[in-house]
Amino acid sequence: MGEEGTEGTVHLLCLAASSGVPLFCRSSRGGAPARQQLPFSVIGSLNGVHMFGQNLEVQLSSARTEDTTVVWKSFHDSITLIVLSSEEGTSELRLERLLQMVFGAMVLLVGLEELTNISNVERLKKELRACYRLIDSFLGDSELIGDLTQCVDCVVPPEGSLFQESLSGFAEAAGTAFASLLVSGRVVTATESWWRLGTPEAVLLPWLVGSLPPQAARDYPVYLPHGSPTVPHRLLTLTLLPGLELCLLCGPRPPLSQLDPQLLDRWWQPSLDSLRACLPLGPRALPAGFPLHPDILGLLLLHLELKRCLFTVEPSGDKDPSPEQRRCLLRSFYTLVTAMHFPPEPGQQEEKVEDTAQRAQVPRACYLVSGTEEPGTGWRLVALQLGPRRLLLLLSAQSPCHGLRSLATRTLQALTPLF
Amino acid sequence: MARPPAPGSVIVPDWHESAEGKECLTCILRKNRRRVFGLLERPVLPPAVAIDTASYKIFVSGKSGVGKTALVAKLAGLEVPVAHHETTGIQTTVVFWPAKLQVSERVVMFRFEFWDCGESALKKFDHMLPACKEKTDAFLFLFSFTDRASFEDLPGQLTRIAGEAPGVVRIVVGSKFDQYMHTDVPERDLTAFRQTWELPLLRVKSVPGRRLADGRTLDGRAGLADIAHVLNALAEHLWHQDQVAAGLIPNPAENAPG
Ligand SMILES: Nc1nc2c(ncn2[C@@H]2O[C@H](COP(=O)(O)OP(=O)(O)O)[C@@H](O)[C@H]2O)c(=O)[nH]1
Ligand SMILES: [Mg+2]
Repeated sequence: MGEEGTEGTVHLLCLAASSGVPLFCRSSRGGAPARQQLPFSVIGSLNGVHMFGQNLEVQLSSARTEDTTVVWKSFHDSITLIVLSSEEGTSELRLERLLQMVFGAMVLLVGLEELTNISNVERLKKELRACYRLIDSFLGDSELIGDLTQCVDCVVPPEGSLFQESLSGFAEAAGTAFASLLVSGRVVTATESWWRLGTPEAVLLPWLVGSLPPQAARDYPVYLPHGSPTVPHRLLTLTLLPGLELCLLCGPRPPLSQLDPQLLDRWWQPSLDSLRACLPLGPRALPAGFPLHPDILGLLLLHLELKRCLFTVEPSGDKDPSPEQRRCLLRSFYTLVTAMHFPPEPGQQEEKVEDTAQRAQVPRACYLVSGTEEPGTGWRLVALQLGPRRLLLLLSAQSPCHGLRSLATRTLQALTPLF
Repeated sequence: MARPPAPGSVIVPDWHESAEGKECLTCILRKNRRRVFGLLERPVLPPAVAIDTASYKIFVSGKSGVGKTALVAKLAGLEVPVAHHETTGIQTTVVFWPAKLQVSERVVMFRFEFWDCGESALKKFDHMLPACKEKTDAFLFLFSFTDRASFEDLPGQLTRIAGEAPGVVRIVVGSKFDQYMHTDVPERDLTAFRQTWELPLLRVKSVPGRRLADGRTLDGRAGLADIAHVLNALAEHLWHQDQVAAGLIPNPAENAPG
């Protein structure tokens, strides 16, 4: 797979498992969607080798060449997904989770029935086109990280904003318990029921809304991969301010026409100023004035039990490296500490209660210097786990290594009441 | 539906190009781009020129691929989709348009809410069509100049969709007019259709407009100039229909049959 240049390429293939018919291929190069296609013979061989193993009851899950990692995964014996990535710092963990998200996205928009009972391949291909935009957003450079962490991307609204009340009031008026307020694909606040949505839909729904072109309102049919994979629900979205959307998940009622401007005004006009204050939270995640150490260039905070995360590369935005690089460094670091250093996340594997209890008392930390080995250069990365929270920081090269741990501890303490 | 008003009889046609009109249009622009409004927002005018807002719901109907989504995007000043992806479910788009009335010389802020729904969603989900039709003020029936079948489907659509909706504005829209060289719908067929149905007809081209100096962002003013005739026509028919419904002007259809 020799690629010229240093920009990594990702190819995603989707095939009907039984016939090997390709259903779609999506690619990205250097973080942007690309048209480039793999030759049919390569697709055939990649699928062939996986099928060959399966016939011998061998599960081929991944392979590596000099510059490319390949991961295979079959879903319900009906759909095979294959991903090839030559992106720097890619890993099996990242690609496996990517495939789970992609299949989740397919169920979300097409329904499990269509994917497991393929009666008409051509029709299915046509229906799957509805997923391209969402799937491309996983392959490209995204500001969100829920695809990797499997936690919901959230933001912390400014203090004193009373959205919770408006949200539950509005949801009740609309006749549903499932409502959330999103800014650029991140959850600002949500009702209890919305928070109880399972994985992957809890991550997929905000991501979907963030990936769609702007519309004043939508009535969007969705299947819930975990909660309702065969019966569609309706995702209603209402753009209160550009970038700030109110989402409701409901059954046949209410009709979209019922959620008219008068109803919106009644519930939301009083909080207009607080709503406006949420707009910069898109990339920033934390309210203005939240004290962060100036060495911090990027931050990823996970709450592994609530399955929520906070991800930002906005602090000290005027310095090197670029936001894309920062995201990339934190993503790779997350993958590394998750795959190698920290115990498995809850829900990933069965775990015993004692393990959790034990872990709660043992803070674990690790750090990494990225880039050159010369002293005083290279970005610092530090990870700290305390109870259900895991904090990853990207720090400037000037930050002294011996102070990393205490800096991370202090930052985590400051963030804990908010998250 | 009332007999359509004569073009230009309700709305001053080129008002948006006058000094007063241009000044007024700045409230729907921001840094030379079209401004996008959230549902809690509306254009802000200086208090001295505070004007009334007239809100209308418009359902955009037509076969898959005729250009419904592209038309709405063009009217909203957004990027028009290049490749065709069928629209998933219903999507609505709000467009504000200030226009001047001929009779009173009053400026009115029109608020159009376009309802666009993918054809397969309409077929698959029973609740979609009623939601689109509910309390709609107008139907736009799209056909494409490059798709004969979409033109021939019009009578069927008119009865299927708007059959039992009296008092609602119905407008036929021929899309992809920029492809007129390759049209499958000759003028004489259009003339025959108009004689039978007596419906207003608009011709539109939903192609990307001029861009700003950065080469990427759409030029808001240029985009408005491209579509002003469409928005004025919508305003004209909807305002006229309201006047007739309120009994403010007699329904010409009743007074002068034929
Ligand atoms: N040249 C040209 N292409 C158009 C026009 N309107 C739509 N299209 C193209 O026709 C295809 C279908 O348009 P779309 O709006 O998605 O159709 P819909 O299914 O009715 O919503 C897209 O590829 C558009 O770019 C037009 O006025 N001129
Ligand atoms: Mg469409």
